Parts: sequence; structure tokens; C-alpha cells
Amino acid sequence: MQALRNIWFLALATCTEGIRHRALWAILCLAVLLTMANLGFTTLYAWDLGKVSVEFGLSAVALTGLLLVFFLGMRILADDLERSRIFMLLSRPVSIWQYLTGKFLGLSFVLGISTVILGIAAALSMYYVLSHYPSHVPPNFSWITYCMALVCQWLSLVVLLAVSLLCFSFASQPFVALLLAVASYLVGQNMELLRRVVVENTHAGALTGQETLVTALSWIFPNLSLFDKKFVAAYGLAFSGQEFMLLCLYGASYSALLIYLASLLFKRKELA
Amino acid sequence: MTIRRLTVQALIFLALTCFYVVSYTTLLQLHSHTKQTVRSGSGLWNLPPVILLAISGEFKGLMADYLTLEVGAQLGSELVRKPKGGFRIVQKEYNWPSIHRLFVASQTLDPSFAQTYIVAQGWLPWQPANMVTETQAILKLAAKNRHWDWRPFHTMGFNAYYFLNKSGEAGKFFLEAAKPPNAPSFLTILGARLAQKGGETETAISIITSMLADKNTDEPGYTDMFDRLHALKGVLVIEQAIHRYEKAMGRKPLTLEELTTTGILGNMPPNPYNLSYCIDETGIIYFDKPECQKSMPSGSTL
Repeated sequence: MQALRNIWFLALATCTEGIRHRALWAILCLAVLLTMANLGFTTLYAWDLGKVSVEFGLSAVALTGLLLVFFLGMRILADDLERSRIFMLLSRPVSIWQYLTGKFLGLSFVLGISTVILGIAAALSMYYVLSHYPSHVPPNFSWITYCMALVCQWLSLVVLLAVSLLCFSFASQPFVALLLAVASYLVGQNMELLRRVVVENTHAGALTGQETLVTALSWIFPNLSLFDKKFVAAYGLAFSGQEFMLLCLYGASYSALLIYLASLLFKRKELA
Repeated sequence: MTIRRLTVQALIFLALTCFYVVSYTTLLQLHSHTKQTVRSGSGLWNLPPVILLAISGEFKGLMADYLTLEVGAQLGSELVRKPKGGFRIVQKEYNWPSIHRLFVASQTLDPSFAQTYIVAQGWLPWQPANMVTETQAILKLAAKNRHWDWRPFHTMGFNAYYFLNKSGEAGKFFLEAAKPPNAPSFLTILGARLAQKGGETETAISIITSMLADKNTDEPGYTDMFDRLHALKGVLVIEQAIHRYEKAMGRKPLTLEELTTTGILGNMPPNPYNLSYCIDETGIIYFDKPECQKSMPSGSTL
């Protein structure tokens, strides 16, 4: 019970710290700008305006989330070390896993808040476009699918945050951790593509016959492309509840595993 | 001393400003003289599709949107200011293979995007690009990924008929285009006519049969399709009889009556349009032109 209380306290404190970084104000400004940009950008097209609008809105959420994970998230973690705040926390009855879980949850809240704000802003601009150009609305477009795609986007960011925490737990410098996290993101985004190229293509160059290696890599790195549902939402394609639930489970289990590994590695980290 | 220092600083500032203005203006002039072909012929878009997908990551849809804008910005006429005032229209020279690569890159990133195939159709199959086969490939991919959209197959049908002069193929495409629920009903009739004209009667029959299986009898256009199907079935019976006649006699019949008088065909099949079937001099059977030998010269249109 005490452990949960510690985690909750740390999560709230981290979330508050995230807001104090004025990140949310910047996000609000960005939301307004992107909403206006969405309206302008979409009307440059003559066909599939609905698709362009949805794609642009969800891409804006993704881009902002990435900036938050790589810069705000890593900054907050690095600040704890550089300003020696971590010693104050760990000298109390707070274990390392509680510290990392609390930080992870707090940053996930920040990501969640930004996703909601940007998601609503994107939805408003999309609603304007879709209502003004009804002939360009995809045949089976659904706001539920859009919301599910938004949740998947957030899950993808949460998984990436867990990867960043893991990198932070063993990297000697925050900058090294940032580089590793960015590299993991790039690999994770292309994991499905790589897997398909190697497994389904007999002319995959140096990777020919390396199905086992690629399959092993696809289990190690996060398969972030699975969370990318912009295309599905933009064209109003079918997105089953079962797939959505499985994605949630995958995201939660993978993140939990990484946080656990991070807590093991963090114990060996030189904090001083 | 202070005035001297200020003068020197002002001179340095002026020199640096001049340097900046000259270099930037020269750069802009160089860019304006660079042909569009160079712009489209080089760059990221020439990379293999897999690499493009890998670079774009989760923003591939947005990248495809940008690429179609890029193509749209490059195509079209250019207005150039005359020295004496006013503008003149300059027809730009394009590197069509590079423009085609841009379309392919955009479609690789988002194979469902309508803007890509519609703009490609607006430029590539026509003179001077003359890239009909490439356009058909773009349309084929669009049709595969836009199962709700009748236009890619419809456009393929147009290209097959207009540019490639293949009526049978065009007919098959029009019939495929007629399949989505929101497709105009005339596509079935048009497709059936072209398919039959191009010697694809059996294909037309099977496609219309499969389409009718998914329709209710009270749906608009059902009766038209049903009549057309039976007319085509009659045409098929006659075509098969003509084939047998040709084997037996070594020539095609001049009139359809020859089929019944020689006993190769017992009776003419019923025509739902209550007209006589007719064969023209090229051997094409008509179910709605009883005077085809007089009124329809060979190669006539719909």
C-alpha cells in the first residue's frame, strides 16, 4: 500500500513538474497553430480532403508526443540526477522501482494530457473540414475509430517513454540515452517493414535467410508501427475492438517489462 | 576617435550586408534558372520504395500528401513577366520519368490516396508524356487499395479504350468499376457492351452474373442488368454457333439466317429487347442494332 502511495505521489509530482516546464502551454499554442494549419493545408487538395485532415491531425499529435518524450521526459529524468534530487527521494523509503514507475506514470500523464488537448484540437479542425466538404468524407469514417487511433498513438508514446527510461537507466550520459532512445524509435517504426521484407522477400540482400535474427529483433525492439492507425482512421477502415485490446495489452506488457529491466539496471548505475 | 570607430563599424556592417545581399541574390537567381527537370529528377524521391517507407516512418501519409503537392506545383504552365510589362505563358519542359517517379513514391507511401492517381491520370497518359502503361499500373494499385471507389477502374477502362484501343479490356475494367455499391449504373451497360465488342462476351456474362447475385430485384438498375445479361447470353450462343459454322464451312456466315438454314443453330435465342440479332461485316454480334450491316460501319463506336 505504501508502495502504491509512493508511486502515486511521484507520478503526481512528475506530472506537475512537466506542467511547470510550461510544456503544456507550448502544446496549447501548438494545438491552436496546428488547427489553423490543418484548415489551410487541407484546402490545398482537391480530393480526399477528409483523409488529409485526419492524417495531419494525428501526425501533429505524434510529432508533439515525440518531442515531449525525447526532450521533456529525458530532461526531467536528467534534472533529477544533475540537481541531485534523486538522492533526496531515494534516501526516503522509496525504492528504485517505485521511483522509476512513478516517473514513468507521471510522464505518461503528461503525454496523455497533451494527446487529449491536441486530439480535441485536431478533431475540431477535422470536424470543420468534414462538415464543409461532405463529399470528401471517407465512406466508413467513424469518430470512434479516430478516438481509438488517438489512444493507440498515446500507447505508442508510452512504449517509447518506457524505452527511454530503460536507456536512461544504463547510459552514462543523458545525451547517450537520448540517442539510444531515438535509434530505438527508428528501429521500432520500421520493425514490421523489416520483418516483412525479410520474411516475404527472397531477394533481401544481406538479410536473406536471416528470418530468425529479424524475428528475434522484432521481439526485442518495440514494434511501434503496429500502433500507427492514422491510415485506418483517415480512410475509415475497419479497426476491430479485439485488435485494439491486444494493442493495449501489448503496450502495457512491453512497458511493464522495460520498467522492470530499467529498475534492475538502475541499481548498478553510478549516481554520484 | 569615437566617430572613427563608428565609421569603421558602419563600413564593416555595410560590407557584410552587401556580401549577404549579393550572395543571396545570386543563389536565388541560380535557383530560378535551374530547370524544373533538375528539381524533380533528383532528391529523396528517387530512393527505392522500401527506403522511402523506412525514412518516413509513421509520417508516411503526411509525406505522401506533401509529394502530391510537390507534383502539383511542378506541373502546369508558367507565367513569366515580360520586360515591357504583362505576362506570357511558357510551356515548361518536364522530365516525365522523374515526374512518374514522384507519383510512384507518393503511391508507395500511401497507396489509397485519391489525389495521386487522379493527378497522374491528368498528365501521364497524354501527350507529350505518353505513359499509358505506367498510368495503368498506378491506377491498378489505387483500385486494389480503394475497394469503395469505382473511379480507378473506370479510368483504367477509359485508358484501355481511348489510348490502347482495347475494347474488351476496357469493358472488363468498366464492369469491375460497376461493382462498388455507389458506382453509377451505366457502367454495367457500358462495360458489357465494350467487353462483348472486344470478344469478351463470356467474361461480361460472368461479371454481370456475379454482380446480380449481390443485388436485390427491386434495386434500381437491376432490370437493365438482367436484360443485358440475357441479351449477352443470346450473343454467346450465336458466337458459338458461328464458330461451329466457320469450322464446317471454312468461312463466317454473311447473315445470321445462314446459321438456322444450315441447321447449326435450331432457333435464334430470345432477345429481351424484342429485336433481331445482327452480325456486321467484322463478325461482331449486335442485340440492339437489327440494321447493323447497313448502319454500323466496322470499328463504329458505341
